[in-house]
Amino acid sequence: MTRLHPFTLLAIAAALPALAWILPAPAGGLAMAVVALALALTTGVFRTAVFTAAPFWLFLLLLHDIPTTVAIGLRITTMVSSFVWVVAALPPPRLVEAMVAAGWSASAAYVFAATLSAVPVLRARAGRIADAQRCRGLSPRGGPVQRLRALRALAMPLILSALHEVDERGLALETRRLVPGARRTPLAPPSDHAVERVTRWALAAACAAALAWRLR
Amino acid sequence: MRSHASRSRSWRETSCRCAARSARTIGAGSRSVVTRPDWFGACGYIYLWRDSGESGLVSIRLLVLIPVAAAISLALSAAVDAVALPLFLDTTGTILATALGGPVVGISTGVVTSAVNSLRNPTFWPFVAVQVIVALYAWMAARAGLFRSFKTAVPAGFGLGVIAALTSTPISYLVFGCTTTGGIALTTALGKALGLPPLGACFFGSFLADFGDKAVTFALVTSVLHGLSRRTAARFPWALRAIGAA
Repeated sequence: MTRLHPFTLLAIAAALPALAWILPAPAGGLAMAVVALALALTTGVFRTAVFTAAPFWLFLLLLHDIPTTVAIGLRITTMVSSFVWVVAALPPPRLVEAMVAAGWSASAAYVFAATLSAVPVLRARAGRIADAQRCRGLSPRGGPVQRLRALRALAMPLILSALHEVDERGLALETRRLVPGARRTPLAPPSDHAVERVTRWALAAACAAALAWRLR
Repeated sequence: MRSHASRSRSWRETSCRCAARSARTIGAGSRSVVTRPDWFGACGYIYLWRDSGESGLVSIRLLVLIPVAAAISLALSAAVDAVALPLFLDTTGTILATALGGPVVGISTGVVTSAVNSLRNPTFWPFVAVQVIVALYAWMAARAGLFRSFKTAVPAGFGLGVIAALTSTPISYLVFGCTTTGGIALTTALGKALGLPPLGACFFGSFLADFGDKAVTFALVTSVLHGLSRRTAARFPWALRAIGAA
């Protein structure tokens, strides 16, 4: 399953929640949830999917009656399981390669990949800033005003340091000719067989047909 | 297609001393230097012209701003966790990118933020529409110079809180039955206990979550914009207008 083309994986992950919402509840949601959970099981993220979806069932029980809870809960479980599965099955670099191979601008691929790589870096920096500010006597306790001041002391260095890196990154990109509209040649483009392309169109057609059937 | 050399010319750094000479030399064209004594006097080095969206490097700068701003939104949760405040700050990058780079950059940042956040928590993706609304609102606020002080930014943030709650309520109600996060579910339950109808209780929960959050976000972005040096701010097309300095 993980060898499928990235667009096929994304199409499956998008079609399952869409069908769960479109098809009549609870049968439609149950069928899609079973498929999504089975996919999660194949990639070893079944527990993650269940633990991510479980709080929603609790809150739904708090707010709604049992039939509504089951209907919405199955849909949310499908969505959560699909996303958890696709995240586990699709490494971001492979998606970027597929986007570039499909003719997407290298800039679009860069934006997605750069965000994914920048988040852990900035999170680690936020932790270091918090440690440094604590060493300087910052206390994150007290009333709301004091906590907001502490938040400002933590957030400002993080944001300003990130913004000051924009020019450095821009220069680095321009030296590599990654200007908007530039095309790149992917080194290892994922294979995209005709069967997979047909599958993607079939999934889109199934969603459209289900919607037309429900609106009939 | 313009050559690499012509694009490199489009941002040229010079010292204050030679600014007038540069202006005489280059200023005959449409992109002449506009001498602003307050800028020139305050800095040792200046860029001859602000970002106009025309040159390759300027576009790259705004392109780079998108992932940086999106990552800021996602990394700020670590700072929020450290102070244990009931805030999200998940639109900080969107508002900041809009105030610096305009609506296209802001909307792109919002979409990327939602997409990447969805990889961690899938419930974020349906709320991408809220990020777009936030970017458009922030653009109008930047055009009006509402980031010039806390007195103008905080009320604007409260306004955004109402709009964000109005936008997110139908999504939260129809897609998730108002159970997007534990806090919102509990405040929605409180609204139901107060006798509000289901949709009203859902709005009540979203409103309580967004109202203060967006005001704090606007105040934080205002602090950042004023914390940027004039030289850095001048590199972004909307920054000085957002703080009322241009």
